Amino acid sequence: MIFFLHLLYRVYRLITWSTFWTKRRFTVAGQAMIGGMVVALFTGLDADSAVGYQAFMPLFVLMIVSLMFGFGFRTGFQIERHLPRVVTAGHPLTYRVSVKNLTRKNQRGLTIMEDLVDPRPTFKQWKTYKLDEDKHVRPFRFDKRNFRSPFKMATVKEARVPDLMPQQENDLAIELTPLRRGVVRFTGVTFARPDPMGIFRALRKQPLPQSLLVLPKRYAIPPIALPGSMKYQQGGVAMASHIGQSEEFVSLREYRRGDPPRHIHWRSWARIGKPIVKEFEDEFFVRHALVLDTFTTRPHSDAFEEAVSVAASFACTVLTQESLLDLLFVGPEAYCFTAGRGIAHADQMLEILASVQPAAGQTFDLLEQLVLNHSSTVSGCICVMLAWDATRKRFVEKLRALGLPVLVLVIRSPSETQPLDLGPMSDAPEKLIALEIGKIEEQLAGLR
Amino acid sequence: MKPPPFLLSVTLLFWGWQSDLVLPGALMAVILESALVFRTRWDLSEDDFSKTWSFCSLVLLSAVVYSFTNNEGPSSFATMFDDLSASNQRTATVASARTAAQVIRWLPMIFFPFLAAQTFSTRESIPLTTLSLILQRRWRKAKQLGQPLPPARGFNVGYPYFCAALLSASFHPSEDTSFFWGFCALLMWVLWTQRSRRYGIAVWIVLLAAAGTAGYFGQRSMAGAQAYLTNHLSAQWLANFIRRADDPFQNRTSLGLVGRLKMSDSIVIRLQPETPKNVPAYLREASYRLYRGSTWYSGSSRDYIDSIAEEQPAPSGNWPLLSDKRTASRLNIACYLDGFDKGSPAGLLPLPSGTARLEKLAAYTVDRYAAGSVMAHGPGLVLFDAHYGPGATFDLPSGFGTVTNLRGRRLYEESGLGRFEPHGDWASSNDPPVFVYSYTNEDLAVTPLEAAALDAVVDELKLKGRDQSETLRVLQQFFDNQFKYSMWQSPPRSSNTNQTPLARFLLETRSGHCEYFATATVLLLRRVGIPARYATGYSVHEESGDGYVVRLSDAHAWTLVWDETHKVWNDFDTTPAIWVEAEKKNRSPLRWLKDAWSRFTFEFAKLRNGQGNIRGYLLWIIVPGMVLLLGQIVFRRGRKRRKDKKSDADFLAIWPGLDSDFYQLEKKIAARGVPRSDAEPLNLWLQRVEKSPGMETLREPLRELIKLHYRHRFDPHGLNAAEREKLKAETKRCLELLAQSRSGNS
Repeated sequence: MIFFLHLLYRVYRLITWSTFWTKRRFTVAGQAMIGGMVVALFTGLDADSAVGYQAFMPLFVLMIVSLMFGFGFRTGFQIERHLPRVVTAGHPLTYRVSVKNLTRKNQRGLTIMEDLVDPRPTFKQWKTYKLDEDKHVRPFRFDKRNFRSPFKMATVKEARVPDLMPQQENDLAIELTPLRRGVVRFTGVTFARPDPMGIFRALRKQPLPQSLLVLPKRYAIPPIALPGSMKYQQGGVAMASHIGQSEEFVSLREYRRGDPPRHIHWRSWARIGKPIVKEFEDEFFVRHALVLDTFTTRPHSDAFEEAVSVAASFACTVLTQESLLDLLFVGPEAYCFTAGRGIAHADQMLEILASVQPAAGQTFDLLEQLVLNHSSTVSGCICVMLAWDATRKRFVEKLRALGLPVLVLVIRSPSETQPLDLGPMSDAPEKLIALEIGKIEEQLAGLR
Repeated sequence: MKPPPFLLSVTLLFWGWQSDLVLPGALMAVILESALVFRTRWDLSEDDFSKTWSFCSLVLLSAVVYSFTNNEGPSSFATMFDDLSASNQRTATVASARTAAQVIRWLPMIFFPFLAAQTFSTRESIPLTTLSLILQRRWRKAKQLGQPLPPARGFNVGYPYFCAALLSASFHPSEDTSFFWGFCALLMWVLWTQRSRRYGIAVWIVLLAAAGTAGYFGQRSMAGAQAYLTNHLSAQWLANFIRRADDPFQNRTSLGLVGRLKMSDSIVIRLQPETPKNVPAYLREASYRLYRGSTWYSGSSRDYIDSIAEEQPAPSGNWPLLSDKRTASRLNIACYLDGFDKGSPAGLLPLPSGTARLEKLAAYTVDRYAAGSVMAHGPGLVLFDAHYGPGATFDLPSGFGTVTNLRGRRLYEESGLGRFEPHGDWASSNDPPVFVYSYTNEDLAVTPLEAAALDAVVDELKLKGRDQSETLRVLQQFFDNQFKYSMWQSPPRSSNTNQTPLARFLLETRSGHCEYFATATVLLLRRVGIPARYATGYSVHEESGDGYVVRLSDAHAWTLVWDETHKVWNDFDTTPAIWVEAEKKNRSPLRWLKDAWSRFTFEFAKLRNGQGNIRGYLLWIIVPGMVLLLGQIVFRRGRKRRKDKKSDADFLAIWPGLDSDFYQLEKKIAARGVPRSDAEPLNLWLQRVEKSPGMETLREPLRELIKLHYRHRFDPHGLNAAEREKLKAETKRCLELLAQSRSGNS
């Protein structure tokens, strides 16, 4: 079995490489000519009933002549890529590339192609993905198969380089479509020069490493009343910045060791003769935990990506409200990241979410432990779940037992049609929401 | 990518020229280019393209079916499944190839509606979803689920169509290099638009000219290599090694085979006599002259093949075999042409002895062989009338041979072996020149290997010196009394391994099947100086309904004896009559089932081989069907509109709140001169109502009423029973107020 998979993997690499090479090296006309040659060769087998073989030789000779132009291509360009800091998955973007001709010749009819890091997975990744797909998609259900590589980060269209005189600089626009969240890594650019007939292209690479962060796709969530109430935050003003009644002090008391000198009420000290300090009202504000379930056996599934998107959507929405947000998830280890006013911005949380990977080799207990440890500081909990099984129900039950208001969002595939078993949420069914892949946007829009 | 102007029209003309479909090609080109004159464009939706594509696919399917039946596809495949012999496989392959070639030749016509749809539409490209079923399914599903639709990719059908047209144009036999030059010209045209701006035009021209020249010479040498391969290593050449069962030139017997011979009892021939019960005992396919080893050869008869001219006006279906013979009987024969020759099904026709004329035979060609056989090329199944009667046959008389060229004549003249004596019926054909001569009589030839055994029997029966009729009688009795019919042959004893199978049959086992009896009889007769030949064909004995059926197991061999007095060949069968019964014993108990299936396949074969008018019907079914479909596509818009209206009504009927009593009031107020326009919200309308003279009193009650009405109409929870009652009551009150204000005004 493993040998067979190895063989398949080799075939996969060979096919993807040859497709990539053909598309780079040949123009559309060239690709059509290759097809034409194959057809002419086959129809030529029966020369009595078809004259297709007559087409083979002209195509063949043209191809040979074109191939001869595939060598001796030298370039000298100064290139600069102007990329934005971040982009969002699925949203095409056009960025600017400046090209300066450093040669002494006029450069005409060239094409520029971006070189990205080889997106092909390692054998282990490929095997996991293939076995998972075979397990979940029946043979010959081609409409259900994912023909797009789940490893490809982005598609970049090739662009025509404007005609450049020696030492002339010009800008060109390249369109990039980030396909999934993560980091798009550029290694360089390739200049292509077609032969006179426009069949075969000579290529010249130029290194230009750069990277671009792709944030997860996000959905619009209406301003929602999050569960929970304000809670004392030990960080005080530093954590809460301008939230609460921090500007007003409520009483005066005698100085105690450790009070900050700036709290001293100088006028009272002068009147009484001993240090008196201002007593401020405690800082209270809302702090929420956003719990992302990363425990899945299908790392390339839509469900996991949607869960990250939902978490990202909440991160954006909650942080525009007056609150703090703790993002809790388990990757290679347990993570807690706090954002909110005065601490970090939504962008930073999105950047973290852009790189979230499924928890491999960890158990759900780790997440449970992480969240329960934080339960004392948060006033409410938003859980984005990948399933609604006994373990997760128990987890939610514990949170609720601690008196923590919980909003549970369960990501489900369209094939799962049966209603969710309420379990620990039976007394608050409106706080358990099933989000069906494909309808998540409208379902989130309906949140109150 | 969009093809340059006029490229597709010129390609279509080129295709028409190459495929002998100039008129359709020109017509399509004109339609395509009329887009330059008629600037009207249709706003075709994706659905319209999808329908057009479905239409083209259906036309393609119909073309495949039509072409398949036209090229004897079903019959050749049925035959192949019946008997998986190499020749049958080849027949089926050839039928498939011919179907494919024909359909490919029609591709530009089949997919023209799609191209025309794009040309006359407002779109430059067609979405891929119109073609890909997988994409269509994904889209449909996404729509149903309300999911975001996958990104739509479009393509221009121009270049794919161009490639398809070139492919179609290449599907014709090679006659000259016109395709080559046409192809090169069109290729140059396309490459001109794709050329790199980096290089000058001169470079482009020089390179292309060089490539074209090299391509021409390369193509010529490739054609040479092709011819060499075809002649020396082609499948056809290999097929020469596979000898057909119905070979007029030789017949390999089963003499010497050990064990039981197995014969299929499937029906191969159906006979319908003119008068009931009047059927010939034998249907002959061929006769043979020379016996060597275990094989009978046609000997010098093989050199002559005479093509029979069909009676005019063709296709009359009448083929005269013996022009001056009058016949008394007529027999309708239906048989399959199992072989394959010169690109069409071919086979030897099973004919009664003395057949002079074939009628209603829908064959392409009919050839008469000097060996006494008739080979027909035609559809897989033929039905015809054979006119026959006692007397002359078209076999070459005893002692005659043929040569078809002068060299052969000179050889025989010089050797002094034969004399040239043009023979009546055969001498009439002059193309190629035929010289018929008499030489060492092959009809009396006996191989020395068999001579000893034959002499032993001749001596045993004291045949020498008897006259012909007496000899025949004695031989008949000899085989009847001392031999038994058997499909089983035991292995020879080790001491007698040099003995020929025939000698074993005559001297030892005295049991065998018809081939033994016929071969022994022919050779015994020849040994005593009576010219005889070995005949193969079928024995007719099984009635079925008002006709007869002949099975493969009825295949038979017998003897032809030369009657010197009347100069005719007569049938003489020494196989014991019990053989028919013996064959019956081997029949399967499920034979009736096979027969029923055979009848069904025969009737079907009749249809598909054009013996019925199915092809005519097929056209009549396909054409109106396609017209109907096209009509559906063209007039679908109107139909859809009507349907949409209806569905709107349905939609409204189930919409909640449309039964609100408020509408009565709205009508009344409209009648009082304050109608509400379609796009006017109720609140704005209400403001107008309040300002209208005499309706001031309605202000408050109307506001209340509208609140209730809105809730009834749009609140997902609707109104409860009490609120619904309130809505009614409020409406009633408003109506009363309206009535009062009216009376007050008046």
